[in-house]
Amino acid sequence: MTAADPVSRQDNVSREDKESIRDFLYLESLALDERRFRDWLALFAQDARYEMPVRVTREKLADWELSPVSRIFDDTKQTLEVRVRRLETDFAWSEQPPSRTRHFVTNVLVEATETDGELRALSNCLVYRSRGSETEPSVFSVQRRDRLRRDGSSWQIVHRWAALDQAVVNAHNMSIFI
Amino acid sequence: MTGESASGGVTQMLERMRAGLHQGRVPARIFNDQEVFDLEQEKLFGKAWCFLAHESEIPKPGDYVTRNIADNSLIVVRDEHGRIHANLNMCRHRGNQMCKSEIGNASHFRCSYHGWVYKNSGELIGVPYFKEAYDAKLDRSQWSLVRVRTETYAGLIFGTLSKDAPDLAEYLGGFQFYLDIYLKQGAGGSEVHGAPDHWVANTDWKICTENFSGDGYHTPVAHQFGFHLGYFPSSGASHSQGWAVTIPGKGHGIGLGHTPGMPAFAGYPPELVQKMRESLSPEQLDVFSRTRTAVGSVFPNLSFLIQPFSLVPGEAGVRFCTMRLWHPTGPGRMEMWSWCLVPKEASDEYKQAAYNAYTLTFGQAGTFEQDDFENWTKVTRQAGSSMARGIDFPYLMGLDRSPLTDWPGPGHAVSPYVTDTNFRNLWSTWLDYLTREG
Repeated sequence: MTAADPVSRQDNVSREDKESIRDFLYLESLALDERRFRDWLALFAQDARYEMPVRVTREKLADWELSPVSRIFDDTKQTLEVRVRRLETDFAWSEQPPSRTRHFVTNVLVEATETDGELRALSNCLVYRSRGSETEPSVFSVQRRDRLRRDGSSWQIVHRWAALDQAVVNAHNMSIFI
Repeated sequence: MTGESASGGVTQMLERMRAGLHQGRVPARIFNDQEVFDLEQEKLFGKAWCFLAHESEIPKPGDYVTRNIADNSLIVVRDEHGRIHANLNMCRHRGNQMCKSEIGNASHFRCSYHGWVYKNSGELIGVPYFKEAYDAKLDRSQWSLVRVRTETYAGLIFGTLSKDAPDLAEYLGGFQFYLDIYLKQGAGGSEVHGAPDHWVANTDWKICTENFSGDGYHTPVAHQFGFHLGYFPSSGASHSQGWAVTIPGKGHGIGLGHTPGMPAFAGYPPELVQKMRESLSPEQLDVFSRTRTAVGSVFPNLSFLIQPFSLVPGEAGVRFCTMRLWHPTGPGRMEMWSWCLVPKEASDEYKQAAYNAYTLTFGQAGTFEQDDFENWTKVTRQAGSSMARGIDFPYLMGLDRSPLTDWPGPGHAVSPYVTDTNFRNLWSTWLDYLTREG
């Protein structure tokens, strides 16, 4: 196996770190689903980036399917904080009453990166969102790639990259976090 | 209430609307109704000039995007000679969908069912078993992809299903003066910054068009968080100031919000302002220099917004421009495309800053966009209810105001920014289409 092989990249990560990162991702999801957005924000590094590319339906041989330019989210910790501050006002109508979300995080793979103290977590995330009395929920199927930095006995998110599987998004807005 | 029964037909409702409009009344029912939707598909989207794409989305020969007019999927393509075409995305042989991607590049389109091949411009050039089965008698020139009439203005590609529609310049009817503010910021014009956000909503497209025809009234409330966090360079107290301009009988309208004391062209880098000075007329510059927010719609369903915005409240803002298409797919149901437009000649730094401001505010996860669609889906839901069928909404703001006599641009201009004047013209034009014979 070569160094670039996904399996060998996994081999360079201790079982302890893998478990610790899985727990971290579950706890992060819990903060979102319990609407503890300040707690959630604290899990991001000061230099964090939060990114969701725009997906476009294209031919199989096309050179890109996720736009190299367009983003649904392209946030720093600073702008994420503004989003959280907005949710803390009484005037964030899109979340009034708030969405009920459930993040189902699975298929977590942890691999080494070129940077000391940073690991990459690949995961699948299915997000269920129910609003008001609507009987039709929004369901977002998402591929996530997170870069995580060791922070004492826990981790910080340095980069969240999350791509929706839908090209035409079946939701009137994206007022939740993935 | 007018006392109309819930079972009243659409014709009766449109008559009621005609009678009520000049008294500032519009039936709630138009915003969610199967019969209205059916009529719109035939009499409005079957007749008007409808936006398809921006030329910068298909810059090279063979570039195409798939877009729609009414319920028709179209291939909008630049051919090998650089000419733009829009063809029905349907094989003439047995009707299979030709292009299955939203964007791509192709010199030819080959049907995946029986293999008919068309040039990207639409001419049929290849038929399997042409000799063996058709005895070489099929006249290929008769079986091209179905062509839709197109015209462009300043990079905007429009199509119409009507042979009788006036040319695009007449259709726009002077609104070009205002469109240039979005589209001619420099001699190079504008370009899209990346692929559009694309999503669906249980919202009637007309609510969106109306809002973007200059609804300054909703901003301090629907986007109250923005004032609360200190985002806006205007305060609630001065927010009503500015102008609203509409093109009578054409339906296009723009709201121009004004903040007293705000420096002209704030939020643009100086070199970009210089380019605008070279590409816009003195009258356009006069209007634009006084404008904080420019929010306008080309009838029926293409809108634009320029707005200064800072990523963090209180910091100096950057002006961004969004272009959006509100495409109806059913009563109270729509598909949405939202682009960020940037001046082609602007610096990469400005383009990126403008795009970031767009994403945070009016992309699908944008903090302003979120609240708009939340409100609009609720309006749509309520407008579809049985009691709503007899109810009118008030369109009374500015009903007795005279147009400004010293306005430097075309159209019917009024002050202040907060008014229903544009909307009365919008609904009057909409009504003209829906009630026109033939």
